[in-house]
Amino acid sequence: MLRKIVVGLLGVLLLGTAAMAANEPVTIDFWHAMSSGHQPNLQALITAFQAEYPHITVTLTYQGSYSALQGKINAAVAAGNLPTMAQVYENWVTPIESILYPIGPHMTMMEVGDIVDGLVPSNTYNGVLTTVPFNKSIMVLYYNADLIATPPATWAEFYDLAKTLTVDTNGDGTIDRFGTGLRPAANPEQFLVFLDQAGGSILNADWTEVTINDAAGMAAIQFLGSLIPYTFVTSDYMSDHMAQVAMFIDTSAGYNYNKTAATNAGYALGVAMLPVGPASQSSMIQGTNLAVFDVPNQTQAQKDAAVLLARFLLRAENTVFWAMKSGYQPVTRSAYETQAWKDFVAANPYQQAMSAQMLLGFSQILHPNYGDMRTILSTKFDEIMRGATGALDGLNSMAEEIEPLLSE
Amino acid sequence: MRTWRERIGRAVPRGLGKPLGVLRGKLNPMAVYRRNPSFWKETGTAYLYLLPALVILTVFIFYPFFDAFRISLFKWGLLPPRPYVGFANYTYIFHDKYFWRSLWHTFYYVIITVPVTLFLAILVASLLNKGLRFLSFSRTSFFLSYISPIVAIAMVWRWMYNANYGLLNYLLSLLNKIPFVHIQPIDWLNNPDYALPAVIILSVWHYVGYQAIILLAGMQNIEQQYYDAAKVDGATGFQAWRRVTIPLLTPQLFFVFIMSLIGSFKVFTEVNVMLMGPGPLRSAETIVYYILRSSGRIDGATQHLGRAAAASVVLFGIIFALTIFQMTVTQRKVHYQ
Repeated sequence: MLRKIVVGLLGVLLLGTAAMAANEPVTIDFWHAMSSGHQPNLQALITAFQAEYPHITVTLTYQGSYSALQGKINAAVAAGNLPTMAQVYENWVTPIESILYPIGPHMTMMEVGDIVDGLVPSNTYNGVLTTVPFNKSIMVLYYNADLIATPPATWAEFYDLAKTLTVDTNGDGTIDRFGTGLRPAANPEQFLVFLDQAGGSILNADWTEVTINDAAGMAAIQFLGSLIPYTFVTSDYMSDHMAQVAMFIDTSAGYNYNKTAATNAGYALGVAMLPVGPASQSSMIQGTNLAVFDVPNQTQAQKDAAVLLARFLLRAENTVFWAMKSGYQPVTRSAYETQAWKDFVAANPYQQAMSAQMLLGFSQILHPNYGDMRTILSTKFDEIMRGATGALDGLNSMAEEIEPLLSE
Repeated sequence: MRTWRERIGRAVPRGLGKPLGVLRGKLNPMAVYRRNPSFWKETGTAYLYLLPALVILTVFIFYPFFDAFRISLFKWGLLPPRPYVGFANYTYIFHDKYFWRSLWHTFYYVIITVPVTLFLAILVASLLNKGLRFLSFSRTSFFLSYISPIVAIAMVWRWMYNANYGLLNYLLSLLNKIPFVHIQPIDWLNNPDYALPAVIILSVWHYVGYQAIILLAGMQNIEQQYYDAAKVDGATGFQAWRRVTIPLLTPQLFFVFIMSLIGSFKVFTEVNVMLMGPGPLRSAETIVYYILRSSGRIDGATQHLGRAAAASVVLFGIIFALTIFQMTVTQRKVHYQ
């Protein structure tokens, strides 16, 4: 009996100590690249988090542009003074995945399962959900609503419309308005969208083989090749050339820029889901994730606090708040079911297509050499769309140049 | 600065002090000077004053500079392991066609930008030196292009180069009013043939003011007596410029030439901001762009810090060789007053 009492007392003591330790004041650093427009909204979320967890203080540090943030993180890795958590792109942390503190194992099954499907692989390292999505956008179709009453629903319709809308309005022999526009060098993800919609991928599932030039890849590149005469090719943002294109694929994050530019060009901007390809209507998700760093200068209490913050930001009401204020998309499925989001979509019809498209999204692969693959895609896709090389030749060159990257 | 003879005063009998290079041991004037306790005091003080700058230079310039050589021999990542790979990084870049293309683009840029800028700078400085009424205003105007941030300039020039609404194409279109002239608008930034020339034009405009101001300062330091002598000998204005101004301006010309050569090899921001990338078909990818891409700092590329360091070492070698060549060959032509 006495033994039971002693064990019970010890248990209470341990739990009490743990509870006290859990409520020890802790300060965490959160580096981000959200400029002045987004900062008050991020701060509002942090304030709400701190109200819920009064023992945690979050030091938000704006590190400048994404490029500056990447530079600071790299320097901090070398110097050994990484923050507790940071906003990161996949390519930044793939080389340092060994010092990431996995967030997934500290989340409930329900929380993990709630993340939008297309965002899970790009945050999962060696089968473990390590980072979590934060500010995400999806590629959708923007179109001149004064010219196009019904946006194209299929690749075939997209082609026909692009062809019809390519015109030389003043008869001087040069095209004044193209049916569509692409940014192959700056945004090779546009090719990946068509590739995925055709059912293809850069590599096979276990990354042992290049599959970009299989039947699906050929279908995608041949379709894009057929669009060359009707495509305005540039590295600029399409918002700089709104009058020259009738419809184009671009990220949802660019909506405000595109809308203003369309107004300036004298037309109403429409937003639609991408036309359906041979295999799917998927689109590519881009944007940053949240990483917690497992490094000696961060205590366990700090890492735990950062995980709590990551989970807090994933909550439906918070990802919805962030999406409504920032223009990014919610990152959990339950968020799309909230009344707040439904009301927001109803009030902003362009969000309808973005939301629907987001749930059909896919992300980049986490191969360590993905960055090099992207450079090859960018170079060859640009060559193809500018007519410097044939579509199939360019595709095969992509495959040849990607092949050695698998063994590096 | 005092000559060694002025500094050692009467310590060495006249005639024994030169040529300095052949003097050794007791006859070496420096050896005599070093025995003087004041030498060490002066030297110590000088080094003390130099120390802060030396520390900064060592930490931020010399150490990274030598470390780049070391890193170029490793497969270097942000985290260990960083295996030694010998010259594999050099082998890789030498077999990479984009490395050679970026090198060619850089040479193309340098070969045109440096002489054209220098020529225009001489022209501008000479005009300013003619005694314009609003000299300080003109000087400031020309210098303004240099002191404006290059990112802001590149953004403005992006619009000036715009194929449809840009100022440059508008000015070209005015030429179409001349009979039989028909110039099509140029798609400056979106045509592989024009992307690099567009960067060159921007750079020439950006640097010509700076170089002109340095040359103007040099021109204004040339003693009037040389011009008077030339006048007495019956030289025309152009002859005086050709035979007096230019030769006596060679120290400044030499300085500007070397500095602009070194700077031009490092061209990057103009390309990255104005073209928002390496240009159509990578037609304006320069060597520094290649280095930054290899380091994973731009375009979402994979980090290959060893390769980036190897390419940096190659760039250093090229600039070093050219600078040595210039200092040995060109400096012979430099005249000091």
